[in-house]
Amino acid sequence: MKSRHYYLLGTVLTTVLFSCSKSDTTTVITPTIPASNPITPGNISGFVKGTLTTGNTYYITADLTIKSGDTLAAQQGVTVIVKNNSQVNVNGVLLLVGDKNQPVSFNSDSNKPGTWGGFQCDSAQSVTIKWTRIYNTGGPDPSGGPRKSLFVNAPINVDLEDSWITNGQDDIVRLQKGAKITILRNTITSSGSTDGEAINLKGGVTGDVAYNVVYSQAGTGIKLETSSLQPFPQTIVNVYNNTLVANGWRRGAAEPGRGVSIGLNAKANIYNNLIVNNYQGLEMFTDADTVNTKYGNNYFYASVDSYNDTTAHPNISISLRANFYPSDGVGKPKTTDLISTATGNLNPMFKTFDGTVAAANGAGTSNDFHLQTGSPAFGKGNSAYSTDIGAYTSDVIKSNQH
Amino acid sequence: MIRCMALLSGIFFAPFLFAQTASLTGKVTNSKTNELLAGAYVYLSVSNFKTQSDGKGSFYLKNIPPGKYTLRVEYVGLSDYSAVITIKDNETLNININLEEKIADLQNVTVFGKINGGKESSARGTERKANNIQNIISAKAMERSPDINAANVLQRMSGITLQKNSGGDESYAIVRGLEPRYNNTLINGVKIASPDEKSRFISLDVVPSDLLQKIEVSKSLLPEMEADAIGGTVNLVMKDAPDTQLVKVIASFGYSSIFFERKFTSFSIKDIQTKSLYDRYGAAYSAQPNDFSRSNLEFKPITPIPNGTVGITYGKRFLKNKLGLLVADNFQNQYYGTNSEYNQAVPDIYKNQPAISNTATRSISTQQLNNGLTLHLDYNFNDRNKIILTNVLLFSNLAQSREVVDTAIKGGNGGRTVPGTGPVTNDYTSISNHQVIENVKLEGKHILSDHILFDWAGVYSDAIKRSPDRADLFINKKIDTVHTTNDINGPYSFVSTPYYFDDITRIWQHNSDKDYDLLGNLTYRIAIRKNMLELKTGVLYRHKIRFNIQNEYDLKPTTNSNGVKQEYTDINSAQWVVYDTKGTQAYDVNNYKLFENVTAGYMQVKIGLPMLDIFGGVRVEKTDQGFTLNTFYPTGINGVTKNYTDVLPSIMLKYKLNNKTNIRVSFFKSIARPNYYELVPATLLSSSTPTAESGNPDLKHSIADNFDIRYELYPKEEEQLFVGAFYKMIKDPIEYAYVDVSNYKPQNFGTATLYGTEVVYTKYFGNLGLTGNYTYIYSQISSPKFYTDVIAQTTDPAKLQKRPMQGQTDHSLNISLLYRNEKKNVFVQLAYEYLGKTLARVYPVYGFDYYQSPQSFLALSAEKQLRNRHFTAFGKFNNLLNTATINKINNLLVVKDAYKINFSIGIRYSN
Repeated sequence: MKSRHYYLLGTVLTTVLFSCSKSDTTTVITPTIPASNPITPGNISGFVKGTLTTGNTYYITADLTIKSGDTLAAQQGVTVIVKNNSQVNVNGVLLLVGDKNQPVSFNSDSNKPGTWGGFQCDSAQSVTIKWTRIYNTGGPDPSGGPRKSLFVNAPINVDLEDSWITNGQDDIVRLQKGAKITILRNTITSSGSTDGEAINLKGGVTGDVAYNVVYSQAGTGIKLETSSLQPFPQTIVNVYNNTLVANGWRRGAAEPGRGVSIGLNAKANIYNNLIVNNYQGLEMFTDADTVNTKYGNNYFYASVDSYNDTTAHPNISISLRANFYPSDGVGKPKTTDLISTATGNLNPMFKTFDGTVAAANGAGTSNDFHLQTGSPAFGKGNSAYSTDIGAYTSDVIKSNQH
Repeated sequence: MIRCMALLSGIFFAPFLFAQTASLTGKVTNSKTNELLAGAYVYLSVSNFKTQSDGKGSFYLKNIPPGKYTLRVEYVGLSDYSAVITIKDNETLNININLEEKIADLQNVTVFGKINGGKESSARGTERKANNIQNIISAKAMERSPDINAANVLQRMSGITLQKNSGGDESYAIVRGLEPRYNNTLINGVKIASPDEKSRFISLDVVPSDLLQKIEVSKSLLPEMEADAIGGTVNLVMKDAPDTQLVKVIASFGYSSIFFERKFTSFSIKDIQTKSLYDRYGAAYSAQPNDFSRSNLEFKPITPIPNGTVGITYGKRFLKNKLGLLVADNFQNQYYGTNSEYNQAVPDIYKNQPAISNTATRSISTQQLNNGLTLHLDYNFNDRNKIILTNVLLFSNLAQSREVVDTAIKGGNGGRTVPGTGPVTNDYTSISNHQVIENVKLEGKHILSDHILFDWAGVYSDAIKRSPDRADLFINKKIDTVHTTNDINGPYSFVSTPYYFDDITRIWQHNSDKDYDLLGNLTYRIAIRKNMLELKTGVLYRHKIRFNIQNEYDLKPTTNSNGVKQEYTDINSAQWVVYDTKGTQAYDVNNYKLFENVTAGYMQVKIGLPMLDIFGGVRVEKTDQGFTLNTFYPTGINGVTKNYTDVLPSIMLKYKLNNKTNIRVSFFKSIARPNYYELVPATLLSSSTPTAESGNPDLKHSIADNFDIRYELYPKEEEQLFVGAFYKMIKDPIEYAYVDVSNYKPQNFGTATLYGTEVVYTKYFGNLGLTGNYTYIYSQISSPKFYTDVIAQTTDPAKLQKRPMQGQTDHSLNISLLYRNEKKNVFVQLAYEYLGKTLARVYPVYGFDYYQSPQSFLALSAEKQLRNRHFTAFGKFNNLLNTATINKINNLLVVKDAYKINFSIGIRYSN
């Protein structure tokens, strides 16, 4: 009844707007403000502060460090090529701001998965990454293991928006120790070798993870937990409107990955996520804050009945639909959920989807997870977050922009 | 030429020429106690006839040509015997000798008459005469005990417990409840280099007890002693050249009964490359999958051959007793094993107490080959000048396999839903290492005048360890339930995935530790009326350098075309890719260089009054230390240097109630330096847990005030009663704790206090003897813990908790029953050991810690001299009660290590 009133009001307003006569044309003239401390294009390494200026290419030749109190900014259209498995250490402020037309880009010179060290922000002051491509991170650390692509271990603001992370190794975004996070509208694809989560949040992290696409992650798409030593403050995150496809397969049947998991005293609101072809869908472990974690309006689909794990002898047939809510968790289907019961039933109608289940780390993809008109995802969301389910919604402002 | 021949034939026929000769027999007794004295030195001066009295005090010299001789008998602590005797042809002369208690001769103790080139005094005598508080165990006691290495011997001494690793291949002394970091280990009075890549410690199980003359544990420090011992100093005194020719051969074999129950897990070392790829081919080399061998990860069950020990000791004095020689070698090859249950306990946040999250079984098989070689040479230029060269070379070779099967019980990541389910991880490790410790000491003693003694020493000590290709394989599977009917609450059966190949790491590690020491002491001694005054001063300089090199390769499973990792069937069909093809050597945080220079000087004075010895002095130790990491880290600390100087006074009083009784009171200040790598702030990341361990360059050294009192009674030879108490206040004690949930590091925690009491008792009743000791220790330290208030929903990461110091045992008791029958030449020892509750490890949550449960051990040793009195058969039986090591958090079982009975039987020859 109420919504009908709003419709009516909308129609009236639209009529009023279109009925106006020609509007005035105003052009504002602003001076071109030069970048502060512009950094000369070319090789950079060691202690660096200032601005990587628009349209230029920089080469990081050895570990680069932003000192406490310093800022490294990148303007739109900056290209950074990292050599020698180097990493960016952030003790100060990291500010990478691309835009839709001119993203910032970080990649290794070899352009192969796991060939540079990523952003190690253990004790950063703040991290802002917008419209930035981060490719092929995760090269070996001093103990021989993979490095995280973006690691924050400090109670600071972390904004990761509209960015792409592709072909990383193991944990991609690992935030802990009370970081306040805004992770919106990112696309994380084909990452994690045979282990690692895409967005791994621990130790009192709070904020929102929404409108992200996570495709073909080795482990879990979005994982929340606290430490058993320090269960308070809790990790409290709103996880909504994410599209999570084909995650959790590469670790094998001994360690299935999930679309979303909530463990050890983590608390979350989990709504409107589109969970397709993951090994396991939404898992709430017994030790999560099961009382205060709320979920619903999630959409589960499998494009095949089962996946045949051919590495095992005899082969193992894994039923995808049986694992939407895995049996070893305590999460149960909700009436607001959309749960497919057969191939073709409740197909979310991605723009293009090749039906991938398990795919290799670094494998290319041409899938497009925008929804076709008529997708059952539209209008089935929890309206506290969005009327629609998944990262691509009819609200084009909030929707994933990729 | 003819003359030469004549001379030769003369020598050759000499025994025949003197075939008709005489013999000399007799017994040596202590005139006061009527005790028969073993080991008295009996000789005819100006001849080569010499011997030592046996266990019954008897001596026997044969083939003596008739004539006039001076018979001399010497025994330390008693006055010398001398008599002119005439031996007739074919006579067997029997002389019984009573030695008198030595009357303190002012002249003897106040001037340096001559340097004694002879034997060490007996253990009790040394304890009684010592200036400080000591406990000593002699070679004879060690030989007869159930023990075969220095570590085993030490655990029977008063106030000492052992810290062992679960593989059983490392053991370190905890003296008076203080962890190894608070004690030091010496060989022949000087520090030894450590073969450990990160700590200062030396595992005492590589020192065969057969090489030792005695072990001295000093619990109070004199200014002349190195100051870095708060618990105590363990001095391993190697065998010295004997007065008479000594030939001793020992051989034994044995078995660890754990291998009656299960097989020994062995792996091949034939393909192990001593050097890593980086060291072989240079930094640019890119490792290929086939560069890594498989045979050291192919585990095979075998039945081990018996354990064996062979030892030989030879000692003699040459060149008219001027040159003394002793060579001893002891070889041990042992197989032993541990079966463990290991349960991981994580805090259950809703109950605010630890709960078992994972349960694991561990099976460890270890082969350890030890060889110890000691050489002692001394040369007495004359009565007033002597030099001594000692060399101790300890070699140890270890091959160890570990198998761990770990099942998740609860918690996230797909923990157990019903019993029998959950993720299972198997971890197989093969470790081989070679360790060499060498200690060369050249020392001299010179009497410069009747009142001045100068002694000096130069020491080179070197320890290296090589651990090539430590290979660690992880595989995992998951067990789930499937319902056998459509009823979701109905019956189910278990289904397991196959094992998947998870990861392999290969680590090449080697380290070196070298010490160069120079020390000199000057002693001035004089009599003032009837009292004695001794002034002593000395200096020590030690330069230490050490390094560690580690190189790790990470092998990840190849995947199928879908990127899924492969099933694991066996190591020979596993396929991998090398993740870090260059290895970590160029930037590994474990790689460091370190130096430590210690400059020390002291002055001490001893005033000997008839009833009282007063002893006091001060030692100054200056420490300069520092490290550099091999790799430059732009954001981190790449090196640290530290300097500190400690002024350490020491005062001791020894009140000599009578000849058999002392009362001692002492105060001294001492220090403990942090372990080397503990200063290095590099963060050792763990890929499996969010916790990283790191060093702490701000770590301060610990300084302690130590107070001691001891009553000593020496009723008879070998008998004793000691009752003592001690109190220690330790400023800046070092223990590990969490800084936050992701960082665990060594820190100083205010002031710890520790006090306790020790009783030592030995008494003989005819053939039966009772020897034992009891120690009680209480300690207190406060350190921060995590405390969660479930109601308020807050966690305090630093709530201070009071608790005992890590490693401290409350009650420890050793009782041995001894039976000795001199007639039948039988000796039996039944040794019982009780260890009370021990704080094994600190748990990070407030109110909880890992405690080792009380343990009782029983061991038996027996020996019997055979008809040919040169041979003695013996048997040693350890852990007769099958005692396991159990660690608990309250009633939660966390660790249970079972070792089973170990025995050996053998034969000993001595001339």
